[in-house]
Amino acid sequence: MMVVLKEISRMSKKVEEYINITDEVRSIVAQSGVKDGVVFVITAHTTTGIMVNEALPCVESDISDVLEKLVPLNAPYAHAHFLPSYGATGNNSQGHLKSMFAGNHCVFPVSGGALLAGSAQEIYLVEFDGPQLRKVFVEIMGE
Amino acid sequence: MVIDMHVHPIFYEGICGDPEELEFRKNTFGVWKQSPMTDEELFTVMDVGGIDRTALLALDLTTTAGGWVVTNEEVAGLRAAHPDRFYAFGSVDPHRPDALDAARHALCELKLDGLKLNTAKQKFMPCDPAAEPIYELCEKENKPIIFHAGMSWEPDTPSRYCHPLAFEDIFIRHPQLRCCLAHFAWPWVREMAMLLIKYPNVYTDTSVLYLDSPEESISRLFTQDMGPMWFERGFRNQVMFGSNNPRFRAFKIKRALDAVPMRGDARENLYSGNALRFLKGGD
Repeated sequence: MMVVLKEISRMSKKVEEYINITDEVRSIVAQSGVKDGVVFVITAHTTTGIMVNEALPCVESDISDVLEKLVPLNAPYAHAHFLPSYGATGNNSQGHLKSMFAGNHCVFPVSGGALLAGSAQEIYLVEFDGPQLRKVFVEIMGE
Repeated sequence: MVIDMHVHPIFYEGICGDPEELEFRKNTFGVWKQSPMTDEELFTVMDVGGIDRTALLALDLTTTAGGWVVTNEEVAGLRAAHPDRFYAFGSVDPHRPDALDAARHALCELKLDGLKLNTAKQKFMPCDPAAEPIYELCEKENKPIIFHAGMSWEPDTPSRYCHPLAFEDIFIRHPQLRCCLAHFAWPWVREMAMLLIKYPNVYTDTSVLYLDSPEESISRLFTQDMGPMWFERGFRNQVMFGSNNPRFRAFKIKRALDAVPMRGDARENLYSGNALRFLKGGD
């Protein structure tokens, strides 16, 4: 079995941003040499998410609106305090919690050397505490 | 225009080339788990907050810690690379034997925009005679001084050195010297307010995120620690926007300030007018 690990690096430009990384993931899979197997797309952060959905602005805004209702900016979060191990304040609970709803990874089959997905499925790195430089692991396992 | 008057460029990639120096900087300043930031990242974050320019602060700890958190040459270099985005404040340790020469070099040769002193970290009382020649030089050269005031998160910073009342004699002796007691001298906000209404050459900044969220901290400052009209009525020309980045993300402090009700001209003073007057003097 082959295991190939690559990274995607993206600089988010907004506090919350839906970054479509489908083409980069497809490209990494195609270059991996793995013909049949699975690909895992995993964020390296706790205030981002990996989501699969249809790449339409209206869908993005609906998702964003629902997450905002579930996790409002200024709720009295316990995490809003100084963190001695950082020497800085937390104050990004909203990002942590939205990240939990979004999930930290997605999985797709690899078949014939290509990522196999439904026609509406796109892969997003979702920023919830930007702008920041972000990293996503792409691991392909198979033969 | 929006000017952030309180930024420590500890993680600016352009000055993070030496791992040992970066480690000293992190441990001495007391900030960890952050990585060097590229110019693209810095400016993207500034732009998200609508922040046009920031004042970068050096800190000379030659005799107390054996080095600098950020050097005068480093802030000068960062400003030279991006003069449209940065101001640069140098520093001098008043206990070093060549303190006055070092201050003169910073202000007259590097042409830095002012000085940053941290009396707690540099271990001198504000009215220590050793610091007097530095104050005289700044007053003569029309350069402002930003003092750390109030609580400090930095290790080994006894608070007695930075109580706002400990600075008052400086303001009496140097009525033309523009001084900022940073952080609203938190938690001594009432004492800070007293100094602001008593001395027109005294300024402060809004980097007061010691507890709670940015919105809770800033709201408390402007409506409970102070009367809700104190800023506009009492010292609208003396409070500057400051974030204390990298401890706090600047756009979050700005977002919290945006939510504080105030007149348009008072907000303009807070975001840029007072900083420009502090930097250059005049009306």
